Amino acid sequence: MRSSGTRQVTATIVAQQAINGIVLGSLYVLVALGLTLIYGVLVQINFAHADFVTLGAFAAYFFMHLFGGSYLASIGVALVVGAVLGWLINVSIFAPLRHKGSELLPLIATIGVSVMMQNAMLSLFGPVPYAFETPYSQQVFRVAGTFFTAQSIIIIAVSIATIALLYAFMKFTFLGKALRAVAQDRETAGLMGINPSYLIMLTIVISSALAGMAGAMLAPVLVLTPFAGTSVIVKAFAIVIIGGFGNVEGTILAGLLVGLIESFTTQYLDPGLIDIVVFGLLLLMLAFRPTGLISERREENV
Amino acid sequence: MRKQAGYVLAATLAIGLIATASIGAAQAQDKTIKIGGLLPMSGPGAYFGAQDKQGVELALEQLNKSGVNGYKFAVQYEDSACSPLPASQAAKRLIDQYKPDIIIGEECSDATLAIMPIIEQAKVPLLNAGSSALKITDPGNPWTFRIMPNEVMQGVDIATQAYNKLNARTAVLLNETTNAGIGNAKVFKDTFEKLGGKVVAEIGFGRDINDFTSIATRVAGLGKVDVIPTYTLEGQGLKITQALAQAGVVKGGGGPAIQLGTIWLPFGFEQKAGKAATGYVRIVQFDPTDQRDMVKDFVAAFKAKFNADPTHLHAHAYDQIMLIADVVKRGATDAQSIRDTLAATKDFKGVTGSVEFDKTNQNIKMDTIHYMETKPDLSWNALKWN
Amino acid sequence: MSDAAAPSATAYRTSSRRIGFLVAALAIAVLPLVLGGSYWHTNLTVCAINVLLALGLDFILGYAGQLNLGQSAFYGLGAYVSTLLITKLGVPFWGAFAAGVAFAGLAGMILALFAVRLRGHYLAIASLGLAVIIHQILLNWISLTQGPLGIYAIPPPPAIAIPGLPRVDFRNPIALFYLVAGFALLTYFILDQLVRSPIGETLTAIREDEISAASLGINAAAWKVFAFGVGAAVGGAAGCFYATFVGTLVPDAFFITESFTILSMVIVGGMGTLIGPVWGAILLTLLPELLRDVGDLRLVVYGLALTLVVLFMPGGLVQAARLVRAKLGLLRERAP
Repeated sequence: MRSSGTRQVTATIVAQQAINGIVLGSLYVLVALGLTLIYGVLVQINFAHADFVTLGAFAAYFFMHLFGGSYLASIGVALVVGAVLGWLINVSIFAPLRHKGSELLPLIATIGVSVMMQNAMLSLFGPVPYAFETPYSQQVFRVAGTFFTAQSIIIIAVSIATIALLYAFMKFTFLGKALRAVAQDRETAGLMGINPSYLIMLTIVISSALAGMAGAMLAPVLVLTPFAGTSVIVKAFAIVIIGGFGNVEGTILAGLLVGLIESFTTQYLDPGLIDIVVFGLLLLMLAFRPTGLISERREENV
Repeated sequence: MRKQAGYVLAATLAIGLIATASIGAAQAQDKTIKIGGLLPMSGPGAYFGAQDKQGVELALEQLNKSGVNGYKFAVQYEDSACSPLPASQAAKRLIDQYKPDIIIGEECSDATLAIMPIIEQAKVPLLNAGSSALKITDPGNPWTFRIMPNEVMQGVDIATQAYNKLNARTAVLLNETTNAGIGNAKVFKDTFEKLGGKVVAEIGFGRDINDFTSIATRVAGLGKVDVIPTYTLEGQGLKITQALAQAGVVKGGGGPAIQLGTIWLPFGFEQKAGKAATGYVRIVQFDPTDQRDMVKDFVAAFKAKFNADPTHLHAHAYDQIMLIADVVKRGATDAQSIRDTLAATKDFKGVTGSVEFDKTNQNIKMDTIHYMETKPDLSWNALKWN
Repeated sequence: MSDAAAPSATAYRTSSRRIGFLVAALAIAVLPLVLGGSYWHTNLTVCAINVLLALGLDFILGYAGQLNLGQSAFYGLGAYVSTLLITKLGVPFWGAFAAGVAFAGLAGMILALFAVRLRGHYLAIASLGLAVIIHQILLNWISLTQGPLGIYAIPPPPAIAIPGLPRVDFRNPIALFYLVAGFALLTYFILDQLVRSPIGETLTAIREDEISAASLGINAAAWKVFAFGVGAAVGGAAGCFYATFVGTLVPDAFFITESFTILSMVIVGGMGTLIGPVWGAILLTLLPELLRDVGDLRLVVYGLALTLVVLFMPGGLVQAARLVRAKLGLLRERAP
């Protein structure tokens, strides 16, 4: 979009902000998907999820800058880092606390992990923002009055691919079906010879890997500091609730919706109102439809 | 045997006397001026503190080689985090435990405003070089001094230059929603509109906003924009410039608009922003191409010590220490006399420019305002507008 | 034996409680004189404010069993409402204080309306959402709150001049500390009475098993609203003191991470007891100060403390203290 002597056509502006919103929303979806998957299987929230995103971003950064790796490879590195973190948090927190049966203690423990991770990253990496540049974020394409970067294309492509793979996995593979079984009814699934603990671990690992990968893709977009996760996590929570805890389709819808809210609020209102609009929507949902936009679960003990 | 003993005794006495005399002299030399450094070392303003420290270290190294009037200089730092509450606590801790004779700091206006009542109560002078908010000196605070031009001095000047030298008639203001951001934007707007220009939009954003593509899109949709004054810290500044380039708004992206900025984005910003920063015009308090001997020596010494080029942050901190040394040379020895001697400063020459304080303790010399334009090769071109 | 033992056990607990209050009052009186200098006076006052915050949250979380992640919102509302009344409308301090506390309590009760229908994680996120919204409103409604520009030069409470007694000037930091700590002690006393009364039992019943409680005729909804109101009001009081103590008010002091800090204090101290959060608040306020020389890593301690406590000692310091006393054989037999 060039600002020439004439005002841009409204349609172009709308189209551009829609693109911006969808790109941003795709990133949010990747982050929120992990949260919702974990909740579906474990009925637990990992507060440190967004810090996995941040750490994934840093991992990608250092892979590129210290080892001279390529950007695309660094996405893979971030994925692995996320997976490892997921495994660690399961082994150290979720698994041991499962026997205590409290629904609040693991949440609080993950808050502790989140605080630890943020401040550990602060000591290690310092507070100065890192400029994460990739060759793709500089390459701009202009089509019919709109613009987008190669980075946006990668984000959308990877998001679509991931969601498609996840879908296929859940619907067509044995493990995927087992996962859904465990999410529906853990005891019965256990009786049918499925090992819930193994599956739960698998879910957390996959979810955290998604978070790490999202970090590598968010890094060129975000201001990369150890606290980058905080701004993302609250929105991710809102998305999971609006979409419905444990509901994959709902999360995708809600994620894109939040991305669009962000870009259109910036265009027509004020960037400062973004959080108010998103969280206003969240509270409305909780007041009137707590199970989310597309509810699959019965409304039990919400 | 006795004669030898006598010689040994005499020699020992002599050595003893000389030793005592030199220790005595060293102790007489050991008077120290204690300087407190309230600088942000954590949070989004941490790069301010890191660079200030280096400037201070260089100045101390040079001064302490021989001292000034028998005094050496020592600094104790406390992290004020660019934010009012940590700054207040850091100030109290510094004053209680170190008992400085003078404090330099802070960088961020919000933090400076918060510590001013504290240093005033403790009767310790505060020498500031980084905060632009008008209310820091305007009401007349006897214990706070500022060598940097305030937001009015800078804002009026840059708006006028934009109108006259750049022929700008339309502007979009982008600012972080802090004291300094909002204050600077307001001054630009008032001046620009009084001259006949038009501010097409003012977009404020919090420090938590990450993605600027939408903001850039909004700017692009506003039609003809000549200048975009931007008031934000480096982290967000980078993203804004890149987004504006991607949207084709600014010169670095093939558009016509010129981003304007003041001191918040030090040299090194261009290297991070890349091509997008081409054409950026900013006010700096330090012109590395300045031909004065003092500046050339400073640049050379800095390069030798730190193997990098100095930014205005380094230069500011260096000047603050040098000004303190100058005050000591003029006879000050403790907090009260430092304050009084500072207030009387009429013609101090620093690497950033000259210093003369008016009765509100604001430096009124305009030769501290230099303009730089970023060239396509990312180096600076000094626009000799002042 | 048992008849004689029962009253003496109760009497022991009552008298040990009274001794406890006396010791606390004494400690409050003496500490600022022993630890001199404005640095320590600041720390002590911050401790007292954090104690209030922790007590408020503990009442909601530990006693009513509601996971409230929005305590920072009530803190901020108390601070801003009282300060704006004082600076913009000239309302005298104590009137503004009461208004701030009432406003925060009201907000708490509104959040409770969500708590009525939601449990556990949903409530946690709803409360977090409220905290985000309140913070954003404080930040963006610049014409009302000054937003990030901040409100400066907030005056301390007016001096108390009762004829015949020495004048109490709250510009003296020690006097201000006595005020806040005294208020905290008073709050503790009131909450203690509440908790040990039938009200406390009702709340505990709701916390343990809401469905069974309903079958006993308990109106869980009304009691949740009550608990939130009290806990939020206490948080609001902390906010009023914060504003007058620091003298500068910016919205970022009430960011959601503040909620996590307060939560840490309650959990580390021992949720579900009243004394636990007091110790938790004191420990987690002073620890980073004492570790200041360690540098940035000192903040890692917060998170570490919280995680370890949840994993290994969910009852916090109180549980740890009990274990130690049991080991040392000091735990007195409770009368049958």
